[in-house]
Amino acid sequence: MGSSEKGSKDVMSDIPTFSVENLQNNLKVIQNSRTFLSIIAGVLAGVIGFTGLTGFVFYFVVMLITSVGLMAKAGFSADLYFDSWNRVLFDGFLGGLMSFVLFWTFAYDLVHIF
Amino acid sequence: MNLGFLIGVLGVLILSHAAYSTIQYRGLLKITEEEFSGPPLNVVLELIIGLALCMWAALTFPGKFLSIHPDSDENRAVSLPDNSDFMIFNHRGRLFPPQIDMKF
Repeated sequence: MGSSEKGSKDVMSDIPTFSVENLQNNLKVIQNSRTFLSIIAGVLAGVIGFTGLTGFVFYFVVMLITSVGLMAKAGFSADLYFDSWNRVLFDGFLGGLMSFVLFWTFAYDLVHIF
Repeated sequence: MNLGFLIGVLGVLILSHAAYSTIQYRGLLKITEEEFSGPPLNVVLELIIGLALCMWAALTFPGKFLSIHPDSDENRAVSLPDNSDFMIFNHRGRLFPPQIDMKF
């Protein structure tokens, strides 16, 4: 009896017990937030006039604030909406960096060079 | 258009105004022949306000998080099929054991 119960438990733990569609919807929400905020951070860094490493540090700070905001949006209970915390912290980080650099150089050129 | 979108548009407008003010400030510095050390205080304030508004918009506009638990309130199936009155289980088929080899 005990062994059969354990076997069925093993089978059950192999099956994903969460809704994949809702997880994908949540990941899309995070992606959109991060993309928009990295563009905004790029414009800010360009207007302030950051150059070199300072701009990347600024990006990290803004993304840290964004992560805290997303956690607050999830009510600080990530297991209800995501399969791990890393989703909230790191998803869309590198893709956002690309648009950050693009808009950083764009705003810097617009404000400080022309 | 909902509130989050309007707040985002307002934040972008404030940011573009801050950028325009910085351009004017640099023109002024060019006339007085001084070095640029940083944007003036009102531009910094505008940037902070714009960042706060855009942060608000980015956190509210893209949509709500949906629960991924199968047993949470939103994911529970509450509707029965419409033809449940016509379903009969007490028929002669129940005498024969099912031939399907059930896994668990």
